[in-house]
Amino acid sequence: MTSLLKTASAPADQTLHKAKFEMETLVGYLLAGGVILSMIFIAAGLAWDWVTTGRLGLDYTIKGMNFFEFIVADVKEVVLTGFGPRRLVSLGIATLMLTPFTRVAASMVYFAVVERNWKYTIFTAFVLGVLTYSLFLR
Amino acid sequence: MSPLVLFAVSILAGFIGAMSGMGGGIVLVPALTLLGVDIKHAIAISIVSVIATSSGSASAYVRDHITNLKVGMFLEMFTIVGGLVGAAITIVSAQHLLFLAFGIVLLASWMALFLQRHEGWRPVAHVDAFSRWLELRGGYYDQAIGETLTYDAGRAYFGGPLMFGAGLIAGLLGIGAGALKVLIHDLVMGLPPKVSTTTSNLIIGVTALAGTSVYLAAGLINPGLAAPIILGIVVGAFIGTRVLVRLRNETVRRFFLVVLFILGAQMLLRGLGVRL
Repeated sequence: MTSLLKTASAPADQTLHKAKFEMETLVGYLLAGGVILSMIFIAAGLAWDWVTTGRLGLDYTIKGMNFFEFIVADVKEVVLTGFGPRRLVSLGIATLMLTPFTRVAASMVYFAVVERNWKYTIFTAFVLGVLTYSLFLR
Repeated sequence: MSPLVLFAVSILAGFIGAMSGMGGGIVLVPALTLLGVDIKHAIAISIVSVIATSSGSASAYVRDHITNLKVGMFLEMFTIVGGLVGAAITIVSAQHLLFLAFGIVLLASWMALFLQRHEGWRPVAHVDAFSRWLELRGGYYDQAIGETLTYDAGRAYFGGPLMFGAGLIAGLLGIGAGALKVLIHDLVMGLPPKVSTTTSNLIIGVTALAGTSVYLAAGLINPGLAAPIILGIVVGAFIGTRVLVRLRNETVRRFFLVVLFILGAQMLLRGLGVRL
């Protein structure tokens, strides 16, 4: 962990990276975007809770729900009753967990559609499959 | 436990993790247990925060084309399975065994860091057929030497299974296990140092997600408790990396290494049943 959210600086060697450029940009921005978004949700949720209750004290567990049910339940609550401290924090954690998941999914699509590299499409599909299965656990 | 205290401790853990190069999780778990958080909950929360710190730092390196995506995506197949198995073991493990394992891994990573050799990188002499089939050859623009460095990776048939072990430790203890992954990249697969650290960052993110999914299913993740900790560790790591760029002071590194040694030793002692 040497540089967190560092801005891109090295001049890319165009001849070497021409074919890979989009893949790296896609993955890089997906990761940065996901982490920043989740930190905003979490910080906003905590700040909101602090301002309204005068103390920091959100306390709840996610039990009896798998990850996808957790997301659906949270989004449903947001749609029905609007944002709230707890819902923002949950949304932040869900976004954080979805960040590497989306990165793997996007890489798989890129390998399949753009690079037409079946070997790596299968590798990333395996990773995506295992992750999806484990996120269905409850 | 007051969330403000947790927030402050996490900033410190993220900071020390970044400054020492050991990662936030390895500092966070002992710190949380010292504050009275149950070790399994500490591990579960730590692994969620590992997703944030590793993905955050990975993003910049991927865009700079230093990370070898193919090496990362091949090795991920092994680390995620290891991560799932490791987390499942933690759930059924006795507490003192986790303290013991944590102490051993912390002190071993500490040794690796302390004895860090600054040897030059040796390119792979012979690329085996399997590694060639995996298309692992890569290249990146090295700012220090001002030119593009191309390299090959070898012995992927050995690196893969070893990464299962690294993933297992990551899932078991809620850490990134970056030191171990870098060691495998360097010594077994012959990747240049920059490529091996940045590729390890990419792999850590998905491995941590695999572990997180098991802890989530076990009901060990309390989002209210986790939120200030995740935020704190990201803030601390961010400050740490900024400071790290400006301050390359060996004395500071030594100081943090002493702190880490004490943390490792006390985990080991608690695992052995010695009350401090």
